Amino acid sequence: MLLIAIVAGLWATIQAWRPGYGTHEVLFQPLITAFIFGIAFGDMHTAMILGSAIGMMYIGLIAPGSELPQDMGLAGSIGIPIAMQSGMDAQTAMVLAVPFGVLGVFINQLRRIINANSAHRADKFALTCNEKGIQHAALWYPLAVNFVLRFPPVFIAVYFGSTVVQSFIAMLPAWVLHGISVAGGVLPAMGLALIITLIGRPSVMPFFFMGFFLIEFSGLSTLAAACFGIPLAIVVVLMSKENQDNVMKEVKVLVAGSRDDDDDDDE
Amino acid sequence: MSETAVKKESKLTTKDLWIVFWRWWWACEMSNSYERMQSVSYCFAMIPVLKKLYTNKEDLVEALQRHLVFFNTEGNIGMSILGISVGMEEEKSVSSLPGDAIISVKTGLMGPVAGIGDSLIGGAVRPLIFSLALTASANGSVIGVPIMFLYVVVTVILGWFLMCAGYRLGKDAVASMLESGWINRIITGASVLGLFMMGALSATTISLKLAGSYVSAGQTVTIQSVLDGLIPGLLPLIVVMAIYLFFKKKGQKFLPVIITIIAGALLLSLLGIV
Repeated sequence: MLLIAIVAGLWATIQAWRPGYGTHEVLFQPLITAFIFGIAFGDMHTAMILGSAIGMMYIGLIAPGSELPQDMGLAGSIGIPIAMQSGMDAQTAMVLAVPFGVLGVFINQLRRIINANSAHRADKFALTCNEKGIQHAALWYPLAVNFVLRFPPVFIAVYFGSTVVQSFIAMLPAWVLHGISVAGGVLPAMGLALIITLIGRPSVMPFFFMGFFLIEFSGLSTLAAACFGIPLAIVVVLMSKENQDNVMKEVKVLVAGSRDDDDDDDE
Repeated sequence: MSETAVKKESKLTTKDLWIVFWRWWWACEMSNSYERMQSVSYCFAMIPVLKKLYTNKEDLVEALQRHLVFFNTEGNIGMSILGISVGMEEEKSVSSLPGDAIISVKTGLMGPVAGIGDSLIGGAVRPLIFSLALTASANGSVIGVPIMFLYVVVTVILGWFLMCAGYRLGKDAVASMLESGWINRIITGASVLGLFMMGALSATTISLKLAGSYVSAGQTVTIQSVLDGLIPGLLPLIVVMAIYLFFKKKGQKFLPVIITIIAGALLLSLLGIV
C-alpha cells in the first residue's frame, strides 16, 4: 500500500499541475485516474468500472473560470485506490469520494491564492528581461505548490484510509449500505442538473425531454442518442438561419421603402 | 494552413505562431491565480515572438509587462486572442501603434470569447466526448481512455485554426464573428445538442427505484413496474428537474443538494421505500 499511496500522491500532483489546455480536464477525469490505478493494481477491469461510475457523477461539472464545486481529480486519486483495495462497489465508492472532492476545492483555492506569488515574481523578472525567470514562474513554481498542497493529504488518506474504511464498512447496518448505494445512483443528477442550468435556455429545454424519453422508451445507448441529437442540432441551426434571413429581407424591404441606401456596410 | 497563416512580408513565420500556440497550450492553467488568472502563461507564451520583434531592451520590458496584465478566458477559443496579440505586436514593432491598444483589445475580448468557449466547448464538445468515453468503459473496457483523449485532439485542432485566423484577421476577427450572428446560431445549436445529450445521460445514469410490492390476483406486482407502465423513468426525471429548479432559484449551492440526496436516500432506505 506504500507504493500505491506514493503513486496516488504523485498522480494528484501531476494532474493538478494542469499540463496542456484540455488535457488538464482529461487528467482530472476519474476514468483516467482509474487507468493509472488499473496499472498499479494490475486489475484494469475493476478500475474501469469504478472510474466510469465515479466519472458519471461528475459529468456535468463544468464551470467558467476553472472554479469547480467538486475536485474530481482529488476525489478519484483518493477514492479509487481505497475502493479497489477494499473491494467496494462503484456506487459506494462514489459516495466515499464526495468529501475528498470538497477537500480538493479548498486545496485548489489555496493554490490559486499562493500562485499570485508567481505573478509577482514574473513582474520582477520582466524588468530585467529574465526569460528563464518568467518560465520558472509559469511552469515550475506552480508544480512545487501542487506537490506541497496535494501530495501529503492524498498520501496519508490512501496509506491509512483503506484499513480504516474497511473496518468502518464492516460495522455498518444493511440499511445504511443500501441507502448509500441508492444515493450513489441519484448523485449523477446533480452534475446533470448543473449543466442544464448553464446551457438550458427556456426555448431549447424541450430537447432535454426529447433526449430523456428517447432513451427511456427505446433503451438505446448514448452514442445512438448522439446520432439523433447531432442532425437535430444542425436542423435547428439551419432553420434559425432561414428565419433570420427572412426577417432580414423584411427589414431590408422596410428600410428600402424609407431611404435609398439599404447597405449598412461602410467599407 | 501553413503559408497562408502568416502575413506577407512579415518578420514572423508560421513557426513563430506555432511556438506561441504550444507554449500557451502547455502552460495555460498552471500558474492560474485569483489575482492575475492566466497572465503569467500569456506572457510566457508571447516571449519568443516579443524577443524577435523587439531588439531594444526598453521596448522588450514594456512588451513583457503588457502581457503580464490580468487575463482570463476559455483557453481554446482564446487562442484567437493570442493570434490577435501577435498580429498587433508585429504591427506595433514597425508603426506607432500605442501599447494600450494591444492591452485593451485583449482584455476587451477575453469576456465574450470565454462566453463562446464555455457554451461550445464546455456545454457540448466536452460532455459529449466524455460521456461517450464513460459509457464505453462502464463494462470494464479500457476503450474509454483513448476516447477521452480525443477531446484534446479536437480542441487543439480548433485552437490552432482560431489562432491563425486571429493573427490573419487582426482585431476585427472575433468582432465580425459576433456581429454576423453565426456565432449565436452555433451556440443555440450547441445547447440543443448539449441538452439532448443531457436528457439521454439522465435516462442512462440516474437510477432510483421503489422497493415496495403488493399482491394482486395471486401475483406479486412491484410498485416500480406499475410506475414504469405509466411513465418510464419518472423518478429520475423528477429528481433531476427538482435539482435544476433548485440551482436556478438558489444559485449553484452544491452542499445542500449532496446532503439532501445522501440523507434522503438513507431515510428512504431505513423506511424500506427504495
